[in-house]
Amino acid sequence: MTGAPVRLFVPGDSGAVSVGADTVARDLAIECRRRGIDAQIVRTGSRGMYWLEPLVEVQTPEGRVGYGPVKAGDIPRLLDAGMLEGAVDDLRLGDVDRHPWMRSQQRLTGARLGLVDPQDIDDYLSHGGYLGLEAALSLSPREIVQRITDSGLRGRGGAAFPTGIKWNTVLEQPAAQKYIACNADEGDSGTFADRMLMEGDPFALIEGMTIAGIAVGATQGYIYLRIEYPHAARTLEAALEQARERGYLGDDVLGSGKTFDIEVRRGAGAYICGEETSMLESLQGRRGEVRVRPPLPAIKGLFDRPTVVNNVVTLATVPVILARGAEFYRDFGMGRSRGTVMLQLAGNVKHGGLVECGFGLTVRELVHRYGGGTATGRPVRAVQIGGPLGAYLPASRFDTPLEYEALAAMDALLGHGGVVVFDDSVDMADMARHAFAFCALESCGKCTPCRIGSTRGVQLLDRLVTSPDGARAADKALIEELCDTMAEGSLCGLGGMTPFPVRSALRHFPEDF
Amino acid sequence: MDVQRLVAMANDIAAFFDAESGNAAPEGVRNHLSKFWEPRMRREIIEHLRKGGEGLCPTASAAIEKLAADPSVS
Amino acid sequence: MHAHDHHDLGTPAVKGEPVTLEIDGVSITVPAGTSVIRAAALAHRDIPRLCATDTLKSFGSCRLCLVHIEGRKGTPASCTTEVVPGMKVHTQSEQLERLRRNVLELYVSEHPMGSCPASAGCELESLAAQHGIRESRYAVGTTARAAHMPAAVDASNPYFVADDSLCIVCSRCVRACEDQQGTFALTIEGRGLESRVAASQRQPFFESECVSCGACVEACPTGALLEKSVIAVDQLPERSVRTTCAYCGVGCSLIAEVSADAVTRMVPDRAGRANQGHACVKGRFAYGYATHGDRVTRPLIRERITDEWREVSWDEAISHAAAEFKRIQAKYGRDSIGGITSSRCTNEETFLVQKLVRAAFGNNNVDTCARVCHSPTGYGLKHTLGESAGTQEFVSVQQADVIMVIGASPTEAHPVFASQMKRRLRAGAKLIVVDPRAIALVKSPHVAADYHLRLLPGTNVAVINALAHVVVTEGLTRDDYIADRCERESYEKWRAFISDPKNSPEAVETVTGVPAALVRGAARLYARGPNSAIYYGLGVTEHSQGTTMVMGIANLAMATGNLGREGVGVSPLRGQNNVQGSCDMGSFPHEFSGYRHVSDDATRGLFESMWKVQLGSEPGLRIPNMFEAALDGSFKGLYIQGEDFAQSDPNTAHVTAALSAMECIVIQDIFHNETAKFAHVFLPGSSFLEKDGTFTNAERRISRVRKVIEPLAGFADWQVTMRLSNALGYAMDYSHPSQIMDEIAALTPTFTGVSYEKLDRLGSIQWPCNDAAPQGTPTMHVDQFVRGKGKFHVTAYVPTRERTSAKYPLLLTTGRVLTQYNVGAQTRRTANLAWHSEDRLELHPHDAEARGIEHGDWVGVTSRAGDTVLRVEITDRVAPGVVYTTFHFPESGANLITTENSDWATNCPEYKVTAVQVVKVAQPRAWQRRRQEAAPAEPAVSPN
Repeated sequence: MTGAPVRLFVPGDSGAVSVGADTVARDLAIECRRRGIDAQIVRTGSRGMYWLEPLVEVQTPEGRVGYGPVKAGDIPRLLDAGMLEGAVDDLRLGDVDRHPWMRSQQRLTGARLGLVDPQDIDDYLSHGGYLGLEAALSLSPREIVQRITDSGLRGRGGAAFPTGIKWNTVLEQPAAQKYIACNADEGDSGTFADRMLMEGDPFALIEGMTIAGIAVGATQGYIYLRIEYPHAARTLEAALEQARERGYLGDDVLGSGKTFDIEVRRGAGAYICGEETSMLESLQGRRGEVRVRPPLPAIKGLFDRPTVVNNVVTLATVPVILARGAEFYRDFGMGRSRGTVMLQLAGNVKHGGLVECGFGLTVRELVHRYGGGTATGRPVRAVQIGGPLGAYLPASRFDTPLEYEALAAMDALLGHGGVVVFDDSVDMADMARHAFAFCALESCGKCTPCRIGSTRGVQLLDRLVTSPDGARAADKALIEELCDTMAEGSLCGLGGMTPFPVRSALRHFPEDF
Repeated sequence: MDVQRLVAMANDIAAFFDAESGNAAPEGVRNHLSKFWEPRMRREIIEHLRKGGEGLCPTASAAIEKLAADPSVS
Repeated sequence: MHAHDHHDLGTPAVKGEPVTLEIDGVSITVPAGTSVIRAAALAHRDIPRLCATDTLKSFGSCRLCLVHIEGRKGTPASCTTEVVPGMKVHTQSEQLERLRRNVLELYVSEHPMGSCPASAGCELESLAAQHGIRESRYAVGTTARAAHMPAAVDASNPYFVADDSLCIVCSRCVRACEDQQGTFALTIEGRGLESRVAASQRQPFFESECVSCGACVEACPTGALLEKSVIAVDQLPERSVRTTCAYCGVGCSLIAEVSADAVTRMVPDRAGRANQGHACVKGRFAYGYATHGDRVTRPLIRERITDEWREVSWDEAISHAAAEFKRIQAKYGRDSIGGITSSRCTNEETFLVQKLVRAAFGNNNVDTCARVCHSPTGYGLKHTLGESAGTQEFVSVQQADVIMVIGASPTEAHPVFASQMKRRLRAGAKLIVVDPRAIALVKSPHVAADYHLRLLPGTNVAVINALAHVVVTEGLTRDDYIADRCERESYEKWRAFISDPKNSPEAVETVTGVPAALVRGAARLYARGPNSAIYYGLGVTEHSQGTTMVMGIANLAMATGNLGREGVGVSPLRGQNNVQGSCDMGSFPHEFSGYRHVSDDATRGLFESMWKVQLGSEPGLRIPNMFEAALDGSFKGLYIQGEDFAQSDPNTAHVTAALSAMECIVIQDIFHNETAKFAHVFLPGSSFLEKDGTFTNAERRISRVRKVIEPLAGFADWQVTMRLSNALGYAMDYSHPSQIMDEIAALTPTFTGVSYEKLDRLGSIQWPCNDAAPQGTPTMHVDQFVRGKGKFHVTAYVPTRERTSAKYPLLLTTGRVLTQYNVGAQTRRTANLAWHSEDRLELHPHDAEARGIEHGDWVGVTSRAGDTVLRVEITDRVAPGVVYTTFHFPESGANLITTENSDWATNCPEYKVTAVQVVKVAQPRAWQRRRQEAAPAEPAVSPN
């Protein structure tokens, strides 16, 4: 063959790798070489359709045609069938952008996921990268913060605090040294948006942090990365190196005379370090233990200096807001939940993966339209939204729109956007016990309700199963009292939110207790 | 009293005042001796000077001479 | 557990503008920054809590102190919430009560009621009881901590036990170790319910980095950390007495808790201005010597020092001593006897002894042990600034930007102040250490010296001159300050002297061994402050140029404007509890109380009219002069209150020869000691627990000593001195030490405003306290120096006579360790021996290798004066060419090798520089072996 090489895209995302993407990429290269085909294999992030991974894409004149899930053994057959020209096969998915799962999404934060080579800054630039930073550098710090405020962006880590207000607090501190701390300790079960972004589009995070630093006057950023993400660490380090080489980081960012650099710090495997004050303690090399607020990290954060603490998704959303304007972003979503949300669908679901769209999608649409129901084929009984400390919703409440206020009204929360699906074989008492057990396992041990209460919760639920009917009512009341104590008395969200799954299980599924 | 010890002490005092007071050093040393040395020590050092003052540095000798001239000492 | 009579306010006091708020409808005004829990406690609306205590920053973990605040969501913790003007707080409600009960129930599920001994005063159990909780609904099966995470009780520390089964993981101990003590020995390890307190790397306390200050024990709300002495009594104390520690010059205010007329515990007084609620292993725990079996409680006499002691009545002992003194004076003259006051005794006792000498003996032969420690401080500061005392209050260090520590090791010798200093250093102050040895402050957790000027022993003056040279020649002087406040002529002369290139860091580098660049850096740092404070110890004074060095320090401080306000100053760290006081009280042979020379007619007239006796106008003998006079036969009798010359003074051979030459030595002490071997009369002394009086600490703070138990021998020291005076025919009639203080006040201009009534009212007073300063004087020289204009002195460096040579190639210097105290008479009679049971010689690895010496070997240490044998510790804390030892044990014989060299102005001995040779030997000297084998020496006493 002559002319330009054929471009093939195989995800290097660790989710795809876990189902054989590396083998597929390797075998594809070997097979092409054997056949004398000049092929270039680009390792991208994942599109987020995990049931289709490894999802191989071929660049054709008509667009990127996808095949998946591809196993190594499929490769000779696919090549024989003319995959490189986008030929028809059982595994052919057609133009990936027009796939029903993708077509209806509104990818803003995750716009480049699966499209670009995360290790190539030029690829990032050719897909609209660093337009946000360029825009920011033409603005005053106050104007940047104002745009973030106007966009309606709220913290995507779970607390949903308005990002602009937080940034403004840090901006107004007179300190000589300030920091940007990115919380990449993505620990909620069933969540993976942070990982996908860091593995699939690390420059978006780097650009977002750089804009944050310039906005508030911070010169140093830290990414607190959970230890379980070695792949993201490698991707980030490589991206940081390129950004420095190309002048996007360092002591003269894009010739602006402004200084900003980023360091990746690895966590030590504690869920509690996803809580921002624990994370700051850990970043400083101390025991990851919750710190009392106030003072807020925005006033006294890392090393007692004013610090912006934001989640990966929040920071990676910043470039698109600066590049395309606050109004553009604000026009997505509903109510006080503006912009898009990265929903991560997992658990017992047929089609799991990443769904990014404006706030307001209902649970039903997510679980059934996107998810296609349960993987086991049995009826859906419950979903847990917002990670291990999120509430359980019964099928009867699936019309609830996925946005902050609607969920709060139901004693539930969106959290980091994880949605885990359960079929009708689930034992909700077991789930309630699991919530306490999770809290007991991850408690830092500082405050009493969480330190002792979580274990007592487990013991109470164990006792409930065996206790006589007379005692059961008293024990149920005691569980409720314990939930009150933990909710009202805990120092941080770990103990404070454990009652969400417990109470929701008790309320919506009383028959299981 | 061990007069050699007294000589050493007087010389130590003189070393300070030599630097501090220059020409007025002997007066400084004399004043120090009368304020801080018990009379029998002063008597013995004067006696030592009268016997030739072996070991005394010039400033100490000059100071002890002044001391000896003071009628209240002995 | 805090002191039983202490009302804990939950969080520490803060300074701020007044803020008025309402708590349960009660209006209260507190400083801004105060926590709600503290404001509530001040309004007598105490809010339950377990993790908060008023010595520690709030932590917010127990979740018992939750309150309602109008206009705020939820139930904020009152310990971590600051007051706001107009805030309306409600501390009680049904919801709060339910929450608190539930949290208490959670606690009780882990720590069942009745787990702690009654004497522990367990805060959890009493709080639970107050809320009517007897058992926990959560308690099922093995929820108790003892069952779910069993651990052996750690009794390794001599003074307290750690019982994890009683722990409630409030972190108070960890925070006390960090915030109060600054040692960082404790951590919480494990997570969740498995969290537990660990000392260092999960070691037993005794083997960990713990320095046994006891702050953790006091902070513990339960019996998890508890004094062994408290466990032993198993009841709450019957009474508490506030008194003042009798160890170092920090002068901690302590509360003695007493049951059945025995001290069960010492707790630092949280209202104590000097110690700020902290104490150390000595003050808090090592008080057992006071009732040790070695105490001498019956008077003893003997004709010759070779005879056995004979127990006699007080009357016989006193009249025998008086008769002997009279006989000696009749035979050898009025000036043939003298007396020694003790810096361990109270001001009143010290005052009385010098009065006895001046009025009853009729001469001025009185001196004090301060002669051998801080006499150069008195002389040097008097002649430069005008007052013989430190310039600051301890808390002043919290305002310092730069701290210079010269010749002192605060973490060992002044640990409670060291903790305050370390707190300031952790908050960002810079540190300069000037010391031959790498003291702990040079590098310890969260503290490191910015400059360590590691000079050769004996070159202090060269270094201080080089520092001043940099300040002057680089234009870093505060010229406006100098022009305004100092003597122009003296400054010009000094400026010319110090600018001479021979004083430059480069010129003296080979003498001092300190790289010039370090001296320059340190000088700039100190001069730029803006607040720079100097703290110094015996490494400054105990030199042949001790006084010159003190003057050099004052010069540097004046030239940079670092005197006369908070955060700056020149502060001597006094070694003993009452060094300042004994000097103030007129213990020196040339001056009356308040540092007034005996030749001053007006002052003498004042004393003569009050004491109704004619007083001498000539200075008396100093301690070393007394020895000289004893050897030449003109000095024959000595009354020694609380001092052990034969162990503590230099050149032991010389001292013992002098003591042997005397005809009557009267010792007043609580134990037999080395000097008592040469004594003829032994009058049993009283410990600080057995009497009333006052001590004056290093910051001029006069604090009350209050009688905790009755004197073991029947009389307090002041009563014995009074009886001796009366037996000598000079009448003294005091029924209480307060009357002695009244006399001191009447005779001493800096004390005219001092009385026991005022001391009780104010807690403590820093002198001067008089009409000009009725509340006392925390900071001296504020508007002008006490002498008017500050006077610079030319401080030429004169090398000591003590030089190294081929025969004596190493320089020996001395110091202390934390757990022992001076000659060890007290601390050797406590469990502190567990930490330090022998003195060791520190030797640099290079010097050790050159001599074939290995760690733990016995080495002979020989100087021009004598020799001794010590066990060696090889360490690079000392520089090559320098060796170091402590002097806490008589069998070490450190003073066998020290020389007779002394400070030119005050004859303070040059303990800090002795040229020695060190060689490996097989074993200690025979006399040392005998000492080590003997039980604590109790000489043979024949019954009367």
